[in-house]
Amino acid sequence: MSALGVVGGVVQPVLIVAGSPLLVGLMRQVRARLEGRAGAGVAQPWRDLRKLMRKEQITPRGTSEVFRLAPLVLVATTLVVAVVAPFVTTDSALDPAADLFAVVALLALGAVALALAGLDTGTAFGGMGASREMTILALVEPTLLVAIFALSVRVGSTNLGAIVSSTLDDPARVISPVSLLAAVALILVIIAETGRLPVDNPSTHLELTMVHEAMVLEYAGPDLALVELASAMRLSVFLGLLANLFLPWGIAATATPVALLVGILALVVKVGVLGVLLAAGEVFVAKLRLFRVPELLAGSFLLALLAVAASFFLV
Amino acid sequence: MSESLYVQLLYLACGALLLTAVLVLWLRELVVIIRMFALQGAALAALVGVLAAHENSGELWAVAVGVLVLRAGVLPYLLRRTLAGAGEARRETSPLVNVASSLLAAAALTLLAYAVSQPLVALAPSAATQAIPVGVTVVLIGFFVLVTRRRALSQLVGFLLMDNGITAVGFLTTIGVGLVVELGVSLDVLLAVLVLQILTTRMRETFGDTDLDELRELRD
Amino acid sequence: MTVLVPVGMPVLGALTYLVFGWRRATAWISALSTTVVLATAIVLAAAVTRSGPVTALSGLLRADALSAFMLLVIGAVGLISTAATPAYLREEIAAGRATARTATWHSLLVQLFLATMALAVLAANLGVVWIAVEATTIVTAFLVGQRRTRASVEAAWKYVVICSAGIALALLGTIVLNFAAAHAPGAAGLDLAALATHAPELDPGVTRIAIVLLVLGFGTKAGLAPLHAWLPDAHSQAPAPVSALMSGVLLSVAFYAILRVKVISDGALGTGFARTLLAIMALASLLLAASLLIAQRDYKRMLAYSSIEHLGLVAFGAAIGSPLALAAALLHVLGHGLAKAVLFLGAGRVLQVTGTSQINGVRGLMARRPALAATFGLGVLALAGLPPFSLFASELGIVRAGFTAGLGWPTTAALLLVLVIAAALITSTSRMLLGPPPSTPDTTIASPIPIALAGGLLVCAALGVAAGLLPILLDLATDSLVVTR
Repeated sequence: MSALGVVGGVVQPVLIVAGSPLLVGLMRQVRARLEGRAGAGVAQPWRDLRKLMRKEQITPRGTSEVFRLAPLVLVATTLVVAVVAPFVTTDSALDPAADLFAVVALLALGAVALALAGLDTGTAFGGMGASREMTILALVEPTLLVAIFALSVRVGSTNLGAIVSSTLDDPARVISPVSLLAAVALILVIIAETGRLPVDNPSTHLELTMVHEAMVLEYAGPDLALVELASAMRLSVFLGLLANLFLPWGIAATATPVALLVGILALVVKVGVLGVLLAAGEVFVAKLRLFRVPELLAGSFLLALLAVAASFFLV
Repeated sequence: MSESLYVQLLYLACGALLLTAVLVLWLRELVVIIRMFALQGAALAALVGVLAAHENSGELWAVAVGVLVLRAGVLPYLLRRTLAGAGEARRETSPLVNVASSLLAAAALTLLAYAVSQPLVALAPSAATQAIPVGVTVVLIGFFVLVTRRRALSQLVGFLLMDNGITAVGFLTTIGVGLVVELGVSLDVLLAVLVLQILTTRMRETFGDTDLDELRELRD
Repeated sequence: MTVLVPVGMPVLGALTYLVFGWRRATAWISALSTTVVLATAIVLAAAVTRSGPVTALSGLLRADALSAFMLLVIGAVGLISTAATPAYLREEIAAGRATARTATWHSLLVQLFLATMALAVLAANLGVVWIAVEATTIVTAFLVGQRRTRASVEAAWKYVVICSAGIALALLGTIVLNFAAAHAPGAAGLDLAALATHAPELDPGVTRIAIVLLVLGFGTKAGLAPLHAWLPDAHSQAPAPVSALMSGVLLSVAFYAILRVKVISDGALGTGFARTLLAIMALASLLLAASLLIAQRDYKRMLAYSSIEHLGLVAFGAAIGSPLALAAALLHVLGHGLAKAVLFLGAGRVLQVTGTSQINGVRGLMARRPALAATFGLGVLALAGLPPFSLFASELGIVRAGFTAGLGWPTTAALLLVLVIAAALITSTSRMLLGPPPSTPDTTIASPIPIALAGGLLVCAALGVAAGLLPILLDLATDSLVVTR
C-alpha cells in the first residue's frame, strides 16, 4: 500500500460524497436553463438531503430487514468503489479490490440490493420497477465487463489503476478503434445504469415510465436521503470511471500536494463537463419505449464485444 | 508518415467502418441508415487514403478519391432519391428478426469472421492484414441485412454494405487487384444499384409499395 | 483478331439497334450477329486444335479449347434463340403485349447479353471473368422484367438481388485468391492459365477460403443449390427467347467459371476438396429439382427446374473429374443448351397459343398444333435423356465415369434422381400434349413455328448419334481441366 494510495483512499470518498449531490444539482440547473426555467440552484440537492435527514424514520408496514438494509448496502458498496477505484490517484488504497471484476460486482451488488428492497415492499410499483431494473441490469453488467475488459486486454491486467496508468504512458491509444468502440458502449450502459434518459427518466413519477423511481417510491426520511445520495454517488462514480479510463490526464501519479490538487481539479472538471453534456443531451431526447431498451443495450453489448474482438485482432 | 501513426489511422478507419456497419443494423429510420452508409463510404475512402499515403502511390490516391465520390456521394444520393419517392409511412425498416436479436447475431458473426479469416492473416502478417477480419465482418453483416430486411431499400443497403466490406478486404490485402478490374468492379456495382433502383421504382408502380413481403406471387 | 469478333460483333449489333431501332429491316440483325459468332467459334475451334491457345488485346483475352467449346455453345444456342426472336416479337406486338420500343430494347439487350457471355468465356483474367458474369446479371435484369407485370418485376428483383449477392461472394473469393497468388513464389496475379500452372505454390488455407467463395458465388449464377432461388422465377417470367438463352448458355457460362476455378483448386488442394464441394452441391440441386418437379403445375417452371437438374448433373460430372466425366459434362452442356433452348422457345409459343402457363390449362396440344406439340414432345424426350439425343450419351458417360472413379453411392443416388425427374417430366408433358382438345378456340397465330427449333433438335440428335464432330476439341478442353499431379 503506497502513500499515494492512502491519500487517494481518503480524498476520493470525501470528494465524491461531497461533490455528487452538487453534480446532480448542476445537471438539473443546466436542464432548467436550457428549458428556459430559472432552476433551483446547484446546491438544492444538498438542501433536500438535509431536510430529509431531519425527518422521522418511517418504514412501510410489512417490510423486512431487506428494505431497511438496502440503502445502507447501496451507499456502502458505492463508497468502497469510491475508495478503491482510480479517480484522483492512480494508486489504490486497496489494490486487489481496484480490479475490474470487483468494482463491477460491487456496483451490481448495490443495484441488486435496491431491487430486492423494491420487491420487499410488496407494492405493484416496487415489483414493477425491480423487474425492469433487473432486465436492464442483465444486459448492462456483461456489457460493462466486456467493455472494460477490451481496454484491459492490451494492458494485460484487469486492475483499473494499471489500465489508467498505461493510457497515461501511451496517449495515442485513446484514438484507437478499441477505445472508441468501448467508449460508446460504456456511455450507453452508464446512461442505462444510472437511470438517465432515454432509458429512464429521473424526474418522473409516471407509472408507465418509471424504473429507478418506482423501486424507491416507498422510502421516506433518512432512508430516502441515503438512496438519493447513493444514486448521486453512483452517477459520479460511473462518470469518473468513464473519464479516467479514456481521458486520464490530470490524475495524480505522485503523492505531492500539487499533483493531488491537480488530480482533484481534473476530476471535478471532467465529471462536471460530462454531467453538463449528459444533461444537455437529455433535453433533446425523448424516453425510449421500454421494449426498445433491450435493443439499445444489445447494441452496446455488440459494440463492447467488437471492442474486445478488435483488441485481439488489431494489436 | 511514421509507422505508428499509419497503424493508428488505419485501425481508426477500420473501426469507423465497423461502427457504421453496426449502426446500419441497429437503426430503423432509412434516412439515418443512408447517412450511415455515406459515412461508411467516407471511412472506406479514408482507409484507402491512409494506404495511399503509406505507400506513396498516386494511383491509390486517385482510387481513394474515386471511392469517396462513388460511395460517399453518388450511391447515397441515388438511395436518397429513391427514398424521396417513397411515401411518408415507408421510411422505417421493418426487420424480420428483431433488432436486439440481430445485434446479438452480429456479435456471433464477428466471431465467425475472426475465425474464418485466420489463414488470411497468417499468410502475410502486417498491420493491414490484421484488419482483414473487420472487412469480413462488414461483409457478413451486409449479408445479414440483405437476408433479414423487408424493405427493398434496406436490402439494397445490405448489398452495398457487403460490397464495401469486400472492397475493404481488397485494399487491406495490400496488393491492388489491378486497375482494370477495380474500375470494372466499381462500374458493375454502380450499374447494379441503378438497375435495382429502377426496379424499386417499377415495383412501386406495380405494387404501390416496396415492401418485399408483397412479393409472394412466385412460389412453389 | 478472331478472338475479338465474338465480343465485338454483338456490340455492333446492339449499336445497330440503338441507332435504327427494331423494324422489318433490322429484325434479323441479331440472328446475323449470332451466326457470325458461331462461325467465328468454329474458326477458333479449328485454330485452337491446330496450334494451341490464341490471345488478343495484350493477353486480356485468351481462347483455348475450353473457351472455343463454350463459344460454340453460345453461338449455337444463341442462333436458335435469335432466329426464333423475330416471330416471337411479332406475335407479342400483334397481341399488344409489346411495342416496337420494347422490341428494340429487347434486341439491344440480348446482343449485349451475348457480348458479355462471350467476354466471360474468352477473358484470360479471373477478375475480368467476374466482371463479365456480373454484367450478364445487369443486362438480363431488364429482359426478365420486360413485361412489367407484378410477377415479372418480382422475378427481376429476386434475380438481381440474389445473383448480385452471390456474385459478390465470388468477388471476395477472387480478391482472396489474388492475395494468395501475390504471396506465392510464381506471382501469377489473376491470370487463369498462370494460376492453374502455379496452383501448387498457393497457400492451401487461403486458397480453400477462396475456392469455397468462388464456387458458391459462381454456383449462384449457375443455378446450383443452395442459392438457386432466383432461377425458376426468372426463367419462367423472362420472354421465351431470353429464357432460352439464360437456361441454355448463361448457366453454363457461370459453370465454365467454376470449371476454371476447379483446376486451380485441384492443383492447390488436391482433387478431393473441389470434388466434395461440387458433389454436395450437385446432389442437393438434383434432389431439389426432383422434389419440386414431381408436383409442378407450371410448364415454364418445370423447364426451369429441369435446368437446375441438368446443371446439377454437369456439376456432378465435374466433381468426378476424370477425363471421361469432364468430356461428358461438356457435351452435356451443349446438348442441354440446344434442347432447353428449343423447349423454352416452344413453351413461349405454347403460351402465346393457349394464353396460360399452367400444365392443366393446356390440353390436347397434339390435336391442335401437331408441329408445335411434336417439337415440344421431342424436346422433353431429349431432356429426359433418351436416345438418339446427345444428352443420353453424356449422361451415360457421366454415370460410367462415376462408377469407374469409385463414387458408387453418389452416382447411384444421382442416377435415381435423374430417373425420377425424367418420369415426372414425361408425365407432365404427356398431360399437355395428349387428350382431346378443349372446345374453346385458340388465339389465332398465323406464323408457323420457326425452323430453328427443329434445327436445334436435329443438331442435338446428330450430336448424340455421332459425337465424332467434337472429340478433338473435347479432348483438348478436357486436357486443360485435368490436373496431372
